[in-house]
Amino acid sequence: MTGPENDAEFRDLLALVAKLPTSIEPPRDLWPGIEARIAGRREARTGKGWARRFPRWALVPLAAAAALALLLARRGGVSRHGAVWEVTRVAGLPRVGATPLAATGALRVGERLETDDSSRAVILVGDIGHVEVRPDTRIRLIRAQRTDHRLALDRGEIYAKVDAPPRLFFVETPAGTAVDLGCAYTLAVDSIGNGLIHVTGGYVELDRENRRSIIPLGFLAEMRRGFGPGTPYAEDAPDALRRALAALDFADAGAVAVRQVLAAARPEDAVSLWHVLGRVDPVLRQEVYDRLASLVPPPAGVTREGALRLDRAVLENYWTAIRRIAWRKAILKGIRDIDPRTGRAR
Amino acid sequence: MGLEPSRSDRVGVTDLVRRAQQGDRDAFQALYREHVGRVYALCLRLSADAVRAEELTQDAFVRAWERLASFSGESAFSSWMYRLTVNVVLQERRAARRRSVRVVTTDDPAAAERAERGEQGGAGGDATPGLSLDLERAVNALPPGAREVFVLHDIEGYRHEEIARLTGVAAGTSKAQLFRARRLLRGMLER
Repeated sequence: MTGPENDAEFRDLLALVAKLPTSIEPPRDLWPGIEARIAGRREARTGKGWARRFPRWALVPLAAAAALALLLARRGGVSRHGAVWEVTRVAGLPRVGATPLAATGALRVGERLETDDSSRAVILVGDIGHVEVRPDTRIRLIRAQRTDHRLALDRGEIYAKVDAPPRLFFVETPAGTAVDLGCAYTLAVDSIGNGLIHVTGGYVELDRENRRSIIPLGFLAEMRRGFGPGTPYAEDAPDALRRALAALDFADAGAVAVRQVLAAARPEDAVSLWHVLGRVDPVLRQEVYDRLASLVPPPAGVTREGALRLDRAVLENYWTAIRRIAWRKAILKGIRDIDPRTGRAR
Repeated sequence: MGLEPSRSDRVGVTDLVRRAQQGDRDAFQALYREHVGRVYALCLRLSADAVRAEELTQDAFVRAWERLASFSGESAFSSWMYRLTVNVVLQERRAARRRSVRVVTTDDPAAAERAERGEQGGAGGDATPGLSLDLERAVNALPPGAREVFVLHDIEGYRHEEIARLTGVAAGTSKAQLFRARRLLRGMLER
């Protein structure tokens, strides 16, 4: 019934089919879910004798994974959605409040988990992910609800991995709040409350009063007490760009810093410039837009006038194009050479 | 289109596959990054459900991880991966059919008409802007059997004999479904 004769009959349709993209990027990174599933299977396959096959340095992450697996296996006794999260010791002697954590235990709303310089722990974030609590860290459980999973990181470092719809998991810090948009990240807070986030999967939003930054996979951002989140920058951003952004964000360096940012920016830094666009006065904004447009051509529907008056739809349209390019560049790093101006493989 | 090996199959993926077969998760992640777009597109078009497509994509890669040892390298890794994906999707559909309590025909000719009236949003449509948008939506609105055959034959380049083996229908049925799919699509696109 089908064959060359039918192909001729449906020539127009087949011409359209030929234009369909063979590849469609999923709307979120699916790897964390896959990794979690294959990690479980790999551990089950590995069996006894594993300690002899792994170097000593590999044992810490393995211990964290084992602790996580133990937590998952033991869950059921503690409410998943109540005001209690499960926590387990990975190394040393973490404390929940004043009580040393021997193996596994519960972290209740209002309670504090603290690690010293040799202890580590893993917290299960309801059903949606987990947080590795690294040495010298103090973290509190603020809220444990189905729609609001919230920790406060007073100091130290955590690694969070969440596989859930956006805006269900929050980490408050003295300089701003990290809002999960479906992601994995490391967040560190120093003794005076300044923070640094490094996103390794998906996106994170940093919020503080009226300042907001969106940090994609492969980007970092500083947060400073009294200022809030800074402008995100790429892992491989030039030092000159990082310094200029810090001066702009936290030292009120104004036009000088903006022009240093523009001079140092590459197409790969479009995420940074997009953020700067909304943070400068209208005169400087023209320079920022022109530089951004020269590095990453604006998509259809983005006009200079719209961008300069900070039209929300225009900016979001531009952002969508920029973040997709950054996303492709990050996830295909080492696999394909992605043009940072277009997102296409070269 | 079809199943030609991608560039990486020819120049580097063998080493990645070998490392992944030895349990190197980073290598497997690199394979995932390389192929996820194609696998997701396949799942999305076969299932016509964006959320389900994400789950199926994950299932396919987990299955690939489990069966990597059986990949001998006689075909390109991409071909093996996409065929495995098709199997995952079709098996899931068969399982869903068995789970179904109600006795219904799995092919729902009314779906196409509903879509023409705008009652069904195309899951894949949002992901493919431009001229292909209408076609993606129309494909999503096809009855499942016709959609599977159309996606496998006209988009993925499988032959009717292969489709027959994969789906468990006769090659003649596959041809009939393809003709039906093309006619329905043309009707939808012409309106």
